[in-house]
Amino acid sequence: MAKKEVYIWAAGQISVQSPLSEAWMTEPLCYREPYVQAIDPDYKQYFAPNTLRRLGKILRRALLTSRRVMEETGIACPDAIITATGLGCIENTEIFLDALIREGEELLKPTHFMQSTHNTIGSLIAIDSSCHGYNTTYAHKGISFECALSDAFLQLSNGRIATALTGAHDEMTPDYFVLLKRMGYLGHAPNGFSGETAVSLLLGGHKRENALCRLQGIEFLYRPEKDDLQQSLGRLLQQSQCRMEDIDAVMTGYNGQEANDRVYTENCARLFPGKRLLHYKHLFGESYTASGLGVYAAAACLGRQSIPAHLFFHPGNREQQGVRHLLFYNQFENKNHSFILLSACGK
Amino acid sequence: MQKEIFVTGAGIVSATGINKQETLFALQENRTGIAPIRHLKTAHVEFPAGEVKRSNEELCRMLCIPETEITTRTSLLGMVAVREALAQASLLRKDGLRIALISGTTVGGMDKSEQYYLDFLENDTKNAYIATHDCGACTEMIADYFGLFSLVETISTACSSAANAIMTGAMLLREGKADVVVAGGCECITKFHLNGFNTLMILDRELCKPFDAHRAGLNLGEGAGYLVLETRESAQKRNANPLGRLSGYANTSDAFHQTASSPEGEGAFLSMRKALEEAQLNPEDISYINAHGTGTENNDLSEGIAIQRVFGDKIPPVSSTKSFTGHTTSAAGGVEAVISLLALQHHFIPVNLNFSTPMSELPFIPVTEKKPAAPLSHVLSNSFGFGGNDTSLIFSKI
Amino acid sequence: MNELILTLKKEIIEVLNLEDLKPEDILDDAPLFGEGLGLDSIDALELIVLMEKNYGIKLNDPAQGRDVFRSIRVMAGYIQANRVK
Repeated sequence: MAKKEVYIWAAGQISVQSPLSEAWMTEPLCYREPYVQAIDPDYKQYFAPNTLRRLGKILRRALLTSRRVMEETGIACPDAIITATGLGCIENTEIFLDALIREGEELLKPTHFMQSTHNTIGSLIAIDSSCHGYNTTYAHKGISFECALSDAFLQLSNGRIATALTGAHDEMTPDYFVLLKRMGYLGHAPNGFSGETAVSLLLGGHKRENALCRLQGIEFLYRPEKDDLQQSLGRLLQQSQCRMEDIDAVMTGYNGQEANDRVYTENCARLFPGKRLLHYKHLFGESYTASGLGVYAAAACLGRQSIPAHLFFHPGNREQQGVRHLLFYNQFENKNHSFILLSACGK
Repeated sequence: MQKEIFVTGAGIVSATGINKQETLFALQENRTGIAPIRHLKTAHVEFPAGEVKRSNEELCRMLCIPETEITTRTSLLGMVAVREALAQASLLRKDGLRIALISGTTVGGMDKSEQYYLDFLENDTKNAYIATHDCGACTEMIADYFGLFSLVETISTACSSAANAIMTGAMLLREGKADVVVAGGCECITKFHLNGFNTLMILDRELCKPFDAHRAGLNLGEGAGYLVLETRESAQKRNANPLGRLSGYANTSDAFHQTASSPEGEGAFLSMRKALEEAQLNPEDISYINAHGTGTENNDLSEGIAIQRVFGDKIPPVSSTKSFTGHTTSAAGGVEAVISLLALQHHFIPVNLNFSTPMSELPFIPVTEKKPAAPLSHVLSNSFGFGGNDTSLIFSKI
Repeated sequence: MNELILTLKKEIIEVLNLEDLKPEDILDDAPLFGEGLGLDSIDALELIVLMEKNYGIKLNDPAQGRDVFRSIRVMAGYIQANRVK
């Protein structure tokens, strides 16, 4: 059976950049502090008070970005709701845990527990939209989003589903930022910062007008050996009938932390010699599902067929027009690696 | 024609035992693993629980892991079950295969986080455990213990996590993304979710009584259950001995409430019906339903109504083995998949312990007495998570 | 009694995050669940915690809550009769 082509029909974000907009392309906000929280829109404009009263930040952001892309595409009930979150509803988790430890095992609040699980996000969207279809949540550190995107891609391309809402959601609390800093994951270099992620993508199994880009394929692997990365990349390009020389640029996850950036520098030189590199975490910050924002940013560039100058990793590049193919490379702690190939829709 | 998915290995750890053999004996002898809490340090000793009868130190010894190594109870339980599954499938080396580990968990490393939380916030003494808190860390600890896996993913849909991991694993095989998949889930009991369930007032102070009119909630359990899945071709090529076939699966959403199931059991109804469609089976082909059957007022009524809607007046034998293991939450789909396969292989239907009074709302009662051995062909296993993440799996005899 | 009713309204608004409501918006005899304030089963559990925390009243069975939380007036009456703090 012929595989179906998969497209990103619409995308929306709430992050440390202006919410629900692509203003970051022309007027990016710059941050110098190591810990930055997302810019929340006024949710009261969008939701009834009774809807909002229990929802923590991560849930508000997920619900609003989801509704946005569903409205934009006219898909009231996608066939699948597939969510990625590294830490889940960490704010509620911390509140419950803190009370449990400081005040003991009595008089704890059910609402905090109810909204502490990772799948609260996907369930909420299903309840809000009355969608009885496929609904799952991936929670695997820095490749949570790739797991979710891959699930959506496989089911869309084999025709099991026709539409999928895929989200990447992580909030960052001040306390958890301290923990990540202790772990050495973040906050140790003069550059780079911790951000928050809320991205919703509406994907469909066919091309349609105003689609942002085509999702050609996705490959990811754990603790690659010798030539595994090369092979995986080769497989992706071959399946997509794309050659390395067709790739306009590679989107990378440089985040200003030395250990992380070294892996990108080494692997990019080896895997894509001579290719121009892009980055996005200097705009959106680091979080477990930041790669969702990276794919969103790449899709936005392909939708406009232009890459703003400030996305190029090396200085001296100017805005590039007529972009056709962007390769997305993400790695987490040099253990999890992923490649995603995105192409402009064309005629 | 879709590729057939064979199960060539299975591993289980729960309150009823630390392998398939012990589990089988307990099930066949109607011996529950639920008992007063012994290992978990909690004030709530009034609740019985299905704890795995091994301390962390004993689990480490079983696995030849130095006690000083950074581990969590959830990952240790996972390693024990994955090891049993891999051994049965004779998967001890990579042999050029792309082997995936798809694991479900929700509390992840919470057992350590709740122990060291104040240290996390205030000093650097327990930093190594910060890194083991999240769900993905748990899966990677298991993967790294074996060093076999080139693809790892973690699913977290609360109490249907492991069932969804098995479904995802099957889809990856069918798309050729992996040659062999190890899929299931693991979860230890923590104070965090014991107290969480307590705030929802759904814990029974006695042994749980699934599908009983006087049921009063669930008993928490812990454990791990994993399957080795591969296509028929791969199993034949490797000379692996199949235990059964994963013939159907479906994941649906109840889309009703964050903690309650809908009165008409819509999500459960859809997941069972779609799993039957996927397996190309009729309701009457099902020989046994291993129900989600938590013992809460809400679940058993909602699931019972959904069963009635799918099966009409031909309801197959139903039981909830949570009366043996307790509710192993994220591991439940894996634990109960292994139990379903044991039932298929050994031709028996596990009974539903502690049942005495039928629910007036339902036309069926669960299996309460041992039946004479009869061949089972297809077993349906339900796993439903908070928020209405409902998944059904069907295992079939080969 | 009227003072308790007012206090209770303030407590409920706070604990259930009904921030768009003022105490006078909650009628003394209107049902709290379903039609009235539109509260649900999780709110009932929160109210059980509130009763224990603020008034020392422990309800062990959520079904009991359904009777006690029929309206603010019924709830206040129950608290007055059973409070230990």
